[in-house]
Amino acid sequence: MKKKVILMLITTILALSVVMITGCKKEDESKADQPAKQELITLKWPTIWVGEDSKAPMIAALVDEFNAMNEGRYKVEIEANPDYDAYRNKLNSQIAAGVVPDLFVLNPDPTSLSFYEGDLLMDFAEELSGSWGDNFVSGAISGATIDGALKSIPYEVGYTPVWYNMDIFKAAGIPDIPKTYDEFFDACEKIKAAGFIPTSQMTGGTNAWTSMLWFSHIAASIGGPDVWEKDITDPVFVQAAEILRMMYIDGNTSKDAVGGDAGVSGGHFLAGRSAMFINGPWYIGRVKNDAPDVFKATKIGPAPAVEGGFEGAQIGFPQSNLAAGATDDPAKKEAVIAFMKWMTLPENVKKISMDAGSMFAVKFGVDDGEDVDLVQGQFMNAVNDSAFVNTHFQANFATDVVAEFGQALARMALGKATAEEFIQQIADKID
Amino acid sequence: MRVNKNWKQIILFLLPALILFGVYFIYPLGFVIVTSFSKWNGISAPVFHGFKNYIELFQDETFRLSMRNNIVWALVLGFVQIPLAAVMAMILARKPKGWKFFRTAYFLPNVISQVALAMMWLAIYNAEFGILNNLLEMMGFEGLTRNWLGNMDTAFPAVLVQQVFYIGYFMVVILASRMGIPDSYYEAAEIDGANVFQQEFYITLPMLKPILITTMTLALAYGMRHFESTYLMTNGGPAHSTSVMGILLYRNLGALNYGESNAIGAILIVFGGATIALIRWLFSRNLDADDGIQ
Repeated sequence: MKKKVILMLITTILALSVVMITGCKKEDESKADQPAKQELITLKWPTIWVGEDSKAPMIAALVDEFNAMNEGRYKVEIEANPDYDAYRNKLNSQIAAGVVPDLFVLNPDPTSLSFYEGDLLMDFAEELSGSWGDNFVSGAISGATIDGALKSIPYEVGYTPVWYNMDIFKAAGIPDIPKTYDEFFDACEKIKAAGFIPTSQMTGGTNAWTSMLWFSHIAASIGGPDVWEKDITDPVFVQAAEILRMMYIDGNTSKDAVGGDAGVSGGHFLAGRSAMFINGPWYIGRVKNDAPDVFKATKIGPAPAVEGGFEGAQIGFPQSNLAAGATDDPAKKEAVIAFMKWMTLPENVKKISMDAGSMFAVKFGVDDGEDVDLVQGQFMNAVNDSAFVNTHFQANFATDVVAEFGQALARMALGKATAEEFIQQIADKID
Repeated sequence: MRVNKNWKQIILFLLPALILFGVYFIYPLGFVIVTSFSKWNGISAPVFHGFKNYIELFQDETFRLSMRNNIVWALVLGFVQIPLAAVMAMILARKPKGWKFFRTAYFLPNVISQVALAMMWLAIYNAEFGILNNLLEMMGFEGLTRNWLGNMDTAFPAVLVQQVFYIGYFMVVILASRMGIPDSYYEAAEIDGANVFQQEFYITLPMLKPILITTMTLALAYGMRHFESTYLMTNGGPAHSTSVMGILLYRNLGALNYGESNAIGAILIVFGGATIALIRWLFSRNLDADDGIQ
């Protein structure tokens, strides 16, 4: 019995080995008989620009066009990751495990830029030092370069002025957008009296996005262009926190703002319930499609200025860079570069921008006769009219500190912490 | 010690499973424990950090709160959800009218994804349009309406409660075991004059003891590693009030603090293992004593 079992196992293993070896040999022989032909290189691109994202249709069209142009040579396959936070966490885990996607979108911040360490990402410094680099706006390439390495290509940029629903302002009898915070809180009273919610806020999500942007605007207005060089415990940030706290009390925001995520804060604006909201130009497509009446009533303008502080502050930051996993295969590298060049081609970037409203680090011209979206035009004006552009809180602190912002904000909004304690909680996390 | 004469064949046949177990369980486990003593961002090489990650974690108020929340989760699931499931199984085992409908209805949430359920509860608890607040208003209890998931006093119970009532899975497991108890035991008890409650208390419960211990252990283990619904509904907020160790682990992964993250993972493993061992030890002593009933 014992011998039989062992004999059976050995026979099975031998038979499998023979099949595998002959199979491989036949495959090799058949390859040798054929004339040399370039193998199809498939690049996987896990991306967030799918589903409801306003850039999704044009991105998909450009990928299809690239695949058609390079049929038989290169093929880019989109892997849909519609959840931004999950995408980011998945990338972090993958990269830490040494498994870098062929292509991906990197949101530049102190945490994600640590991916520049080591040799996991492809370095585009050499390629972009040539004429390709001329496609980008001034400072974009140098801004994405660390110690001479350019491991992510600047792509989408974000500017986040305030979205004002002028129909609500009109209903509340307010003639124009508030220029100072005194005017802002006066407007809040009138908006509430008219039955609307003054501001959209949120403490949830991974970064309390909308409220984090309000805080960044207020801090920029008080502290000026160099505000992020100050220590977080500086009185500037305490003062900014106090103004943010006031936005959460006395019905100045929705009841579900504490714990609410981007769906909650954006949802109130889309539904025409809230009068003031902050988000970037990528939201234009969403408002245009989902809330056409609100879109018509939208006015893009600067955030109010703190009296005695700096006027004309704007918040802007590199939103999404394009990156790729490093490879030793020259053919694959060539395919990646071909795709990157395609995606950063000014006419292609223009197509995405005109369709979705997003703004990019790639230069493109708009002819006089071309129909630029009204809100997108206002975004451009808001940026052009600004006295200075600061980055936001998130761009200056590590991911865990950014996550703490929302938790600390909830505590302050619920009256369990003062503005000083809010700032201290963030400072403790930085330590 | 007597050695099985077929030991070579046994090893040969067990080898694939052992290799897979080693590669997919033992190695990652060892990796987590070793790197938990390091400072590591997942990109550069880990740097030995001694017990610093553990010391910092236990000094962190948020971690202690998360640990406490995990214990509450484990206790509530083990000692509230399982008894509820057992009671429901005992009722349905008596086949009242419509018992099949209720069996399916209670089990239904188990075939729906956690994400969909969390979204549903978010809609129920929403402060502006939530069904719960609307219901309270309709009943004249406007003073009780609140932002259930955005209030530090109500967020944790709100997340906990929605999970506790999903008894279907354990109910079906207990019900299957209950159906295996011969009817003759109950008929004999009835002849002896035992009422329904006495029958359940003196026949069903002792007979169900092994399955109750198993389900309770599973529920406690789930409570210790709980993550999904809290992450989906509150992400640990507001102000960390609903945080659990899994959320902190996940957040640290996102911040590339792999050393700290793995330290939380190691604590979870030790903590969960110890809790389960304790429960099994406590109950198995009684089980051994009750062996005569089986």
